[in-house]
Amino acid sequence: MRLRVLAVFLSAVQLGLLSTSLQAAPLTGEQLYDVACRACHSLGTAPDHRVGPPLDGLLNRQAGTVDGYQFSEALRTSGWVWRLPTLLAWLTDPDAAIPNNAMNYVNPLTAEETQRLSEWLLQQP
Amino acid sequence: MLTRRRLLEGSVAGLLASASGGCNDRGSGRRVVVVGAGLSGLNAALILERWGFEVDVVEAKTRVGGRLWTLDHLPGSPEGGGNVMGAQYGRVFHMAHHLDIALRTPPRTLPSDYFIGDQRITRASWASAAANPLPEAWRSIPPQRLMGKLNDTNPLLTTRAWHDPDLMASDQSADVGLKALGFPKAAIELIDANNSYGNNLQDTSLMALYRIMGEFGRLSGPALAVKEAALGNMRLPEAMAEQLTRPVSLGNPVVSIQHSSSRVQVALASGETLEADAAILALPLPAVRTIEVNLPASQTALLNQINYHKVVQLHCIVEAPFWEASGWSGSWWTDSPLGRIFTRPIPNTPRYNMTVWINGDDCDHLHALDEATCTETITQALWQLVPEARDVTSAGQLVRWSMDPYAGGAWALWRPGQAGTAHGAIRAPTGRLFFAGEHTAEAYRGMEGAMESGERASLEIMRVLA
Repeated sequence: MRLRVLAVFLSAVQLGLLSTSLQAAPLTGEQLYDVACRACHSLGTAPDHRVGPPLDGLLNRQAGTVDGYQFSEALRTSGWVWRLPTLLAWLTDPDAAIPNNAMNYVNPLTAEETQRLSEWLLQQP
Repeated sequence: MLTRRRLLEGSVAGLLASASGGCNDRGSGRRVVVVGAGLSGLNAALILERWGFEVDVVEAKTRVGGRLWTLDHLPGSPEGGGNVMGAQYGRVFHMAHHLDIALRTPPRTLPSDYFIGDQRITRASWASAAANPLPEAWRSIPPQRLMGKLNDTNPLLTTRAWHDPDLMASDQSADVGLKALGFPKAAIELIDANNSYGNNLQDTSLMALYRIMGEFGRLSGPALAVKEAALGNMRLPEAMAEQLTRPVSLGNPVVSIQHSSSRVQVALASGETLEADAAILALPLPAVRTIEVNLPASQTALLNQINYHKVVQLHCIVEAPFWEASGWSGSWWTDSPLGRIFTRPIPNTPRYNMTVWINGDDCDHLHALDEATCTETITQALWQLVPEARDVTSAGQLVRWSMDPYAGGAWALWRPGQAGTAHGAIRAPTGRLFFAGEHTAEAYRGMEGAMESGERASLEIMRVLA
């Protein structure tokens, strides 16, 4: 009986009968990282096959200093250190933050999502 | 048709996705139909599955890959579709690595000599050749590098600048714009002869050319190195499709789509109707035009106004390097209707792949011919241009992207006036319909652009449904 009720409930969800009553929750930092960063950056510690550097331990890291990656001169000589204000500025518009960088990335996230992603990234050990 | 059984199957799949851990179950119970099994659709489908969505991918063709098409039946397996993976194609490289698709540096295409006005010119003698039509200050620039002169005045210093309202004066006809910039008439004619970024310069936005040249200008040295899949680029979308929980429904074109603010119904040629919470049209625009779907008037207008690049290729096999005895190269850049001829060795064999690459409006008369006549027409023109090729060269496969109703051309082009807002407007979600495909990408074009667009479309859906 309980299973039948469950099936009916799930069917109702899938028919969209309940969809107007279900609010989408804001995407988590992990989700945002997965969709917007993961293809080019890892959270591993060693240099890997990806075109961008690993993002673990990012807090207080000097920009453009991970061995094994081809950074633009602009990033290497920027003097930037990754903390919340710098990461927010960088992710919001990399070209405006550090012109002539090599990331070639257009951020598809909202300002709120960028903030959430930045906070989450800086917490990764 | 949505059946009770299918509903229950979906429910169970949702429960299993929740139980299996994976990324997580936030999207579980939510269904998405992805229309189009090219790189953009497959990437979006994989991301959405990772987050618990139930995804059906439907594809009109009988294969996955869209505008990737490795000609596996020919020696050397040449690429009839997307052939270049740029050095910065991080998403493509990661996916290939993740799925154990070996990449390699492509065998080197032979450098081009020239045919200008039926005169042969070696690349070494280009600057001094009598048939070089360029004025003195321009004579040393090879035809294929003439468009690069745009970087002397390129106003686009950033990835997004091609949409900058302050720069829209450059969103004009490239023909007019190049003249205004002082490009000599002969240079403009040579650029127009083999322009991969427009069907003719009159109908191409100068801004689109600035965008592409700026991209090349920002890259240099190792950053310009390219890769390809060692066993053919098609192996990548094939492997991506195999990762999906549900197999891609092949040879099953979408006939019509009904959508509201909360639901989508996708009617397939097979008679089946898929019900979902959202759908992604991961299709080139000419393929979208084949589907009966209600879109906002402004989007419908754009859908019909954005052009696609005309490309006709004849893939040939060369048994022996006939050019070596004469001192010419085996690749040619021509201002003839044959366009360009790219020749490269087939590794570990004495043979070569030769591709006759005709593009732009020169394709029009070829599109009017049946396949056999078209192949014969190109072949005869090739023998006339390079008679010594005849005894050792055979035609293998004709590729005409504009003739394919599910491609409609090789890639999207931007006409004068379209750089400012058309690119953003054409991909704007409407209700529960979302859009992906290389034409919707911001930072990249080609394969990486397709992958990028799949990320963006899945993000848009996750915002609404996760």
